[in-house]
Amino acid sequence: MSGYMWPVRLTLLAAVWLTAVPAHAHGPGLAGPDPSASYTNRLIERAQRLGLHEAGQWQRLLHYRRSKYSAGVESENDGAAFFLSRRGKRDPRAELAATLRAFFSPLTKAQRRANAERGKGVPHPICRFPARFAWLSQQLGFDAARLPVTGCPGFVDFLREVDPGGVTLVFSSYYLNNPASAFGHTLLRFRKASAMVAGDRRDLLDYAVDFSADVDTGNALLYAIKGLFGMFPGTVKRMPFYYKVREYGDYETRDIWEYELNLTPRQVFMLLAHIWEVGRTFFRYFYIDENCSYRILMFLEAANPELDLVEHLGEAVLPADTVKAVMRNPGLVKAIHYRPSLRTQFKHAIAGMDDDDLDHVELLAEDAGHPLPATWSDRHRSQVLDAAADLFDVRNVKDLIKKRDGQAAEHKRELLRRRAALGLKSPPPDVPAPVEERPDGGHGSKRAGLGGGGREGLRGFGTLDFRLAMHDLADPSTGYPELAQLEFLPTRLRVWPSSNRIQLTLDDFAVVRIVSLTSIDRFDQSISWKVETGVRTFERMGCDRCLAGYGRGGGGLARAFMGRALVLFATLDLSLQAGPDLTGVADSPLRAGAGPFLGARLRLDPNLVVLLVGEWLWYPKQPDESQWGAEATLRWSFARDLAVSVEAAARPFGLDAELMLLSYF
Amino acid sequence: MKRAAVAVFSLVVMLVATTVQADPYGTAGCGLGSMIFGDEKGIVQIFAATTNGSSGTQTFGITTGTSNCADSGGGTDSAKAFIETNREAFSKDVARGQGETITNLSALAGCADPRAVGSTLQSSFEAIFPQGDSADTEVSRAVIDTLKAHPELACGLLG
Repeated sequence: MSGYMWPVRLTLLAAVWLTAVPAHAHGPGLAGPDPSASYTNRLIERAQRLGLHEAGQWQRLLHYRRSKYSAGVESENDGAAFFLSRRGKRDPRAELAATLRAFFSPLTKAQRRANAERGKGVPHPICRFPARFAWLSQQLGFDAARLPVTGCPGFVDFLREVDPGGVTLVFSSYYLNNPASAFGHTLLRFRKASAMVAGDRRDLLDYAVDFSADVDTGNALLYAIKGLFGMFPGTVKRMPFYYKVREYGDYETRDIWEYELNLTPRQVFMLLAHIWEVGRTFFRYFYIDENCSYRILMFLEAANPELDLVEHLGEAVLPADTVKAVMRNPGLVKAIHYRPSLRTQFKHAIAGMDDDDLDHVELLAEDAGHPLPATWSDRHRSQVLDAAADLFDVRNVKDLIKKRDGQAAEHKRELLRRRAALGLKSPPPDVPAPVEERPDGGHGSKRAGLGGGGREGLRGFGTLDFRLAMHDLADPSTGYPELAQLEFLPTRLRVWPSSNRIQLTLDDFAVVRIVSLTSIDRFDQSISWKVETGVRTFERMGCDRCLAGYGRGGGGLARAFMGRALVLFATLDLSLQAGPDLTGVADSPLRAGAGPFLGARLRLDPNLVVLLVGEWLWYPKQPDESQWGAEATLRWSFARDLAVSVEAAARPFGLDAELMLLSYF
Repeated sequence: MKRAAVAVFSLVVMLVATTVQADPYGTAGCGLGSMIFGDEKGIVQIFAATTNGSSGTQTFGITTGTSNCADSGGGTDSAKAFIETNREAFSKDVARGQGETITNLSALAGCADPRAVGSTLQSSFEAIFPQGDSADTEVSRAVIDTLKAHPELACGLLG
């Protein structure tokens, strides 16, 4: 072990913890002097005079928020063990008084045993709530001689293991090809002080702290319901960071972005001490708002009362909002790192190869015994074998991890055996960070817009646009995946002014609209797909003008050109509509059609996108049997989070054109 | 209302999401399959990923010593856990004679020079991975044995 790590550890531990729990109280682990009730009472009085229970730090350490249901505040923590007063969940003042009393209550037998067993059982409140202790001690200047404990072995072990030298906010990217990973995820990584001092990159060995729901059902419907209504407990977990790298970077092939935070040793300590405090309790987990991303920001705030992170968030919290909130605090982020996913590493590995090399990579991924040309140098062979192993991993990672005894494992082993036999070392991959995809640079995740337009030969209309999340193919592409659209609750209303009244119609409302395009190349033949469902005003669709629910999905192919500036795609779609005013199959109110959909997206600049789509749908044996439409959108983001959008749509019954001003927030 | 809308959204995602087969992973050790994906079944696994739920990670508490597989403090046990969990990336790094997993493993094992560790492991590839289906625990034991068999690597934390 390196002797250099001790100075850092000592700075951290000694400055903040060891001095806070002084060693000169008598006897190891024994009760100190009897707590004098009058001393505790004096402390409580002083705390109340100073209004400490209203201080930002206290409010945040206890997770008090304005109550949704009554006057006053309520803690978002839902574990009884988190409060020392029975009224603690709703009464910051009572909780503070009870905390002070508990800190100076003598050590019980059980607590002494918990100390002796280092971390098992329930230790003394000072050891359960070290962040509260550190702050109150600083505010009130505790008399060290009156403290009932001399140390907290369990907590100190925890500190030693994590060995915190710095904190990084980790964001794992969106990946629409797995609908699962659509919105991304955030967690914290504590950089080990020992590695920082030694100047090593040993990130995999750092500890990650993750907030997630503890799922107790295998039933998908129950899962959805419980998650939406906060019926799963959310808890913090600690694991070596390599679990997360393997899970997100390899298994799900998502790129990872890391925002290294500029925190003082005291702030790092307070964050970790606070995580220890909440580690044995839980917060009800709500997918939409009180989720992993929200909670991670709340932990950061609890440790750093001068930070304002949650204030920057709206009601629904997406992981990307967390990195934006962090970036809005000037100076808080000192460095940004990029960790390429398995797929990105493979793309980088083949970037410089010619067609002949690529042929061999493909053949090796099919047949591990495929012979390489005798004329090739070992270096050349190693490059092709390395790329083939990466490709094989990308295609088979799930099988490899779950089915150790499968064909895939044997195939990969043979590729690697041939590679190892060459003996020379591969150069470390150096994948440049795609700065244009950095999530903090993306437009706001919500959108609202205002505009107007007209129908050929008819009156004009005004348009209102709103979308809860997140991105469509015409929105400015910086910070988002280039070939993906994920919209949640996009809504368009039209306002029709006429001489005597104003009419409001719902033009289109979708619950969800997803388009996932994958550019076909020789190594990736994944299909592109889309799905949407909602309610829309239909015209000449078995009714003259009526509102009907719809669902639509399609699959097809996409191909990108010019570094993805141009994307062409085609899908075969299936379309369903249902509504009381519709006339459809056998005169029922249900319609079903199918047909081709074509699209082209041209990115002239990250802030200037042209999108053209056309479709033809056939509704056999139904009124208005043949439907076609074409739409063109030109969207220019002239300032951050502001865009103008010119949109035109041609249909059998006429041409609509409108101009919109869109704001992202 | 918002939450109700999201319920509908969830149902839709459920319909489009493809089912992932989660085969039970029987091997002992700290393999990724058993540690993270072990108990989750197909569709719920996808949901878990969408919404950051987890059902396979109960082993990861916050307190000290919650799981042998969650120890990255250094020494033989944490080196073994590291090898087992990182097996897929690690096997590639061994074949290539260098890489992030080798640097990190060297730190766990206390070895003096990660470059030398990379060369040694590379030349021992067939001993470490005798077969594609070698158990994770066999692989990790073989790695530790290899490192110990080379005193010049000075992997001081392996005991």
